[in-house]
Amino acid sequence: MDSRYINWKKAILRVLLYFVVINVCLVILYPYFVMVCTALKSRSEIFAMEGTILPIKAMWSNFVDIWYRAPMAKYMLNSIIIASGSTAIAMVCGIPAAYALARMKFKGQTAFLGFIIVSQMFAPVVLLIGIYKVMQIMSLTNSLLGLIFINAAFNQAFTIWLLRGTFMSISAEMEQAATIDGCNRVQAMFKILLPVAAPGIVTTLIFIFINAWNEFTVALCLISTDTIKPLTVGINIFNGYNMIEWQYLFAASIFAIIPVVILFMSIEKNLTSGLTAGGVKG
Amino acid sequence: MKQHKPYNLLNKAEPYLWILPSVILMAIFIIVPIGFVFRMAFSQVTKAGLVKGFCGFANFSKVLQGAKFGMVLKNTIIWTILVVVLSTVLGFILALLLNNEFKGRKIARAIVVFPWATTLVIQASVWKFIINTDYGALNTLLKSLGIIQQNVNWTPTPEAFFGWEIACGIFVTIPFVCFTALSGLQSIDASYYEAATVDGASYFQKLWNITLPLVKPSLTVATVLNIIYVFNSFPIVWTITKGDPASRTDTLVTYLYKLAFYNGKQGEAAAVSVIGFLILLVCASVYMVSTLKKGDE
Amino acid sequence: MKKIIAMLLVLSMALALAACGGSAAPAATEAPKADAPAATSAPAAPAADGKVTVTMIAAQYGPKTGDWWVDFEQKFEAANDGIDLVVDCVSWNDIYTVVNTRIANGQAPDLLNIDVFADYQADGLLLPAEDWCSAETYAKFYQAFLDQSVVDGVVWAVPDLASARAMYYNKDILAEAGVEVPTTWEELTAACKTIKEKCPDIYPWGIDMTTDEGQAAFAYYTWGNGGGFVDDNGEWILNCAENVAAVEYAVGLVKDGLTNSDPANNTRYDLQDLFCAGKLAMMIAPNALSAQAGEAGVNYGFAAIPNNSGTSVSAGVMDRIMCFDNGQSAEQMAAITAVVDAFYDDEPYSEWVLMEGFLPATSAGGEACAAADPAMGAWIDIVGSAKFYPTAKAEWADVKQGVIDVEQQALLGEDVQTLLDNLQAEIAG
Repeated sequence: MDSRYINWKKAILRVLLYFVVINVCLVILYPYFVMVCTALKSRSEIFAMEGTILPIKAMWSNFVDIWYRAPMAKYMLNSIIIASGSTAIAMVCGIPAAYALARMKFKGQTAFLGFIIVSQMFAPVVLLIGIYKVMQIMSLTNSLLGLIFINAAFNQAFTIWLLRGTFMSISAEMEQAATIDGCNRVQAMFKILLPVAAPGIVTTLIFIFINAWNEFTVALCLISTDTIKPLTVGINIFNGYNMIEWQYLFAASIFAIIPVVILFMSIEKNLTSGLTAGGVKG
Repeated sequence: MKQHKPYNLLNKAEPYLWILPSVILMAIFIIVPIGFVFRMAFSQVTKAGLVKGFCGFANFSKVLQGAKFGMVLKNTIIWTILVVVLSTVLGFILALLLNNEFKGRKIARAIVVFPWATTLVIQASVWKFIINTDYGALNTLLKSLGIIQQNVNWTPTPEAFFGWEIACGIFVTIPFVCFTALSGLQSIDASYYEAATVDGASYFQKLWNITLPLVKPSLTVATVLNIIYVFNSFPIVWTITKGDPASRTDTLVTYLYKLAFYNGKQGEAAAVSVIGFLILLVCASVYMVSTLKKGDE
Repeated sequence: MKKIIAMLLVLSMALALAACGGSAAPAATEAPKADAPAATSAPAAPAADGKVTVTMIAAQYGPKTGDWWVDFEQKFEAANDGIDLVVDCVSWNDIYTVVNTRIANGQAPDLLNIDVFADYQADGLLLPAEDWCSAETYAKFYQAFLDQSVVDGVVWAVPDLASARAMYYNKDILAEAGVEVPTTWEELTAACKTIKEKCPDIYPWGIDMTTDEGQAAFAYYTWGNGGGFVDDNGEWILNCAENVAAVEYAVGLVKDGLTNSDPANNTRYDLQDLFCAGKLAMMIAPNALSAQAGEAGVNYGFAAIPNNSGTSVSAGVMDRIMCFDNGQSAEQMAAITAVVDAFYDDEPYSEWVLMEGFLPATSAGGEACAAADPAMGAWIDIVGSAKFYPTAKAEWADVKQGVIDVEQQALLGEDVQTLLDNLQAEIAG
C-alpha cells in the first residue's frame, strides 16, 4: 500500500514537473514564435485588419532579402570578432587578477574588490562622452579594436568575481606541492589550477561573449563606417525614418541569435558545473 | 622566518603585478570616462555639449528642484526592486525545476538561455509588438483561441505600461539568475539530502535548511551585479515607451538620456547619473560590509 | 580535463588571433578614413596620402539613404581627385547622441545634415552659409527656407529638403460613413462621431502626442486656432488663450474616444501603419504617406488641415545642412564647397529627394520633381505656404519637450491652462 502510494505521488509530481517545464518553455518561446511568424509575413499582412497567427503566405524571401539589403555577413563577422576578441582580452586580464585575489593576501584586496563593483555603477549611456574621448586619444574611434577593449573592460567585474569564486573553491594544496617540486607560480597556475578550473573558465567565456555580442550603445557611437558595424547596430538600417520594417528587423534578429545558441549548446555541460565551482565557497 | 629583503619586497609587490593588467584596462576604459561624468556634473555645459567651466552644485540643485525628479526616482526604485526580486525568485524556482533529471532537460536549458542571447533592443521591440492594441500578437492569439472577441487595450494607463516593462525586464533577467542558481544547486553534495531524508525532513525543510544556505553565496554576487545592471537598464523602457506619458514610465537613465540628448542639458544629465551612482554606492556598501567580510574570513 | 583545457587554449588563441587579424584588416583597408579625425584636429595638414578629407554626418531618411551616399561618395571622389569624402549615415533615432558625443570631444564633422542648428550656432561652432556655399548653389534655394536659418541677420545653414503636412483621409471609409471631407473643427468633430457610429471598428482620427513628435500636434491645433509658439515679434506665447483652447480641443477628441487608443504612445509611424491597414479614417501626415498608402492599396486623398480660425496653415518641417568651424584651411574649404555643389547639382539632388519621398528645397529641384510626379506640384504649393517651428530660437529644445509634456499631462487629466502657464513661466522667465 505504502509503496504504491509513493509511486503514485512520484508519478503525479513527474507529470506536474513536465507540465510546468513545458509551459515555461512555451512562454519563453512565445516571443520568438512571434518573431519568426512576423519575419515570414509581408508588410501589408503584418498590419492587416484581421491578423492571423501564422503567415497566410510565408515569405521565405524575407530571410534571403536581408542579406542583400544590408551587409549582414559583414555585420555578423564583426560581431564575432568583437565578442571573441573581448572575451580573449577579458580573460587574459581577468584570470591573473582573480588568481591573485583567491590565492594571495595583500593590502587593498577588499578595496580592489569594491573598486571592481564601483566601476560597474554608471550606465554605458552616461559614459559615452568620456569613452569617446579616451578612444580619440588612443586613435581607436571607428575601429573594432576599440570596441574589443571597451567590452573587455565592462566585463572585468563579472570575470573577476566569478573566477575568484571558482579558484577559491579549488584546494590550493596541489599547487603548493607543485611549487615545492620547482614550479613557479605561473607554471603552477597553468599546469594545475587552470585545467581543474576549466568549467569555470568556460562559464565566464560565455558570459562575456553574450554581453559583448549584445552591446549596442557604445558601438553605435564609436563606429561610423558601415562595413565595421556589429550586428546590433547594423540591423538598425531596417528601422527607418518613415517606417520600421518589422519583417526584416526580426528576420535579421533571428540570425543574430543563432551563433550564441550554438555556442551555448556546445558548452552547456561545462557551463553549469562551472558556475557550481563559483558558488560553493563564497 | 628570516628572508632576504629584496625577495621580501618582490613578494610584497607580486600580487599587485597580477592584478595590474585588469586595473589598467578598467582604469583607462571605465574610470577615466567616469571622471568625465563628474567633471560635467560640476560644470556648465552648453547645449551643443561644450564644457564652459566649473559651476559648483548648480546642476544638482536644478535636477533636485525639477518637478519630475521625485517621481522618476520612485519609478526607478520600483523598477529595480520588482525586477530584481521577482526575477531572482522565479529564476531560482526555475533552477530548482531544471535541476531535476528528466527527458529533454538539455533542450529546456537551451530554451531558457534564449532571452539572454537576444539583444535587449530587439527583445523589447518584440514585446512592444506583442502587446500592441491594434495589430499586437497577443490579441491575435487570444482572438483565435476564442478567449476574447474584441481587441483588448493591454496598456490603458501609464501604470499598465510600466507593468509590462517590468514584466519584460523580469523575462530577460531570469536566465542569468537561473543559471547562476543552477550551478550552485548542482554543487550540493547529495549526501546532505540523504541524511536529512533519514531524519524525516520535508521537502521545504530541506530547501530552507540545506539548499538555500548553500546557494546563497553564488546568488548574492549575481544579485548585486543584477541590481546595478537593472538600475542602469536603458533599452527596455526606451524602446517601449520612452518614458511617456509625461515621464510616468521614466527611470533615471531614460530621464537623463532625454535631458542630455533631447533637451541639451548634459550637465544636469551628468548630475542625475552621479546621484544614481551615490544611491547604488550606498546599497553596495551595505552589501559589501555585510557579505564580503563574512565571505573572506 | 586536460583535453578540454588544451582545446580551450587553442580556441582562445584562435579567437585572439581572429581579433587581431580582424581588427588589423579593417584598419588597413580603412586607413584613409582612420586618418580623417586626425586631419580635422590638425586642420592645416592634409591627410597622409596628400588628399583633402571632408567628413560629413548625414541623416538616414530611409532604407536606401546609406547606399545613396556610398554611391555619391564614389562618384564624387572619382570626379574630384584629391578629395576624400567620408560620409557617415546615422539613423534619426541615434543622430543626436552621435553628433553631441562628437562635438563634446571636438570631433565635429565638416558637414552635418540634421534638423536643428541653433544650439550649434549659439556656441559659435558654425560657419555662415555664404562662406562655404557657392553663390551659384546659394541662389537655388527658396528664400522662405533660407529665412528659417537666420540668426542675427546671418544664414547659418541651408535647407536640404522639406516636408509639409496635410490631412490624409481614407475615401472609402468616409463614403461608407457618408461624411464629407472636414475643413473646420466643428465638421471634424461631427465627421469623427459619425464614423465612430457607422464603423465601430475604425478609429476616426489619428493623434500623435509622443516624445517622438508631439510638438507637431501642438503646432497643428494651435496654428489652426490662430495661436502658435511665438507671436509676430518672435516672443513666446505658449499660454495664450488660443493655445489653451486648441490643446483642450485635441485632448477632448481623445477623451471622447474619437481617436487612436493611446496618443501618448502611438507614434506617427504607428498611425501611418493603421491608416495603411484601413483602420484609421483620417490623420495628419507628411507627403511621404502617399507612397506608403498607395503601395498598401488604400483609396486615399489629402486636403488642408481642418482649422478653427478660417485660415488653414500647413506645418512645414525642414532639415538642413550646416558646416562646422574646425579651423579648415582654404584648401579644405574649397573641398567642402565642391561637396555641397555636387550634392545640390540638379540631377542627383532631385533624384535623391524623390527617392526619399520629400519635397525639394531648391527651385530647380522643385521643377524637376513636379515634372516627375504631378502630385508633387500640389505639395510644393503647400510647403510654400507652410509655417515652420521656431527652431532658430535658443529655447526651442525646451519648448519642444515642454509642449509634449503639457499634452501628455493634459491627456492624464491635468488642467491645460495651468500647465501652459507654468511652461510659459519656465521658458520666458
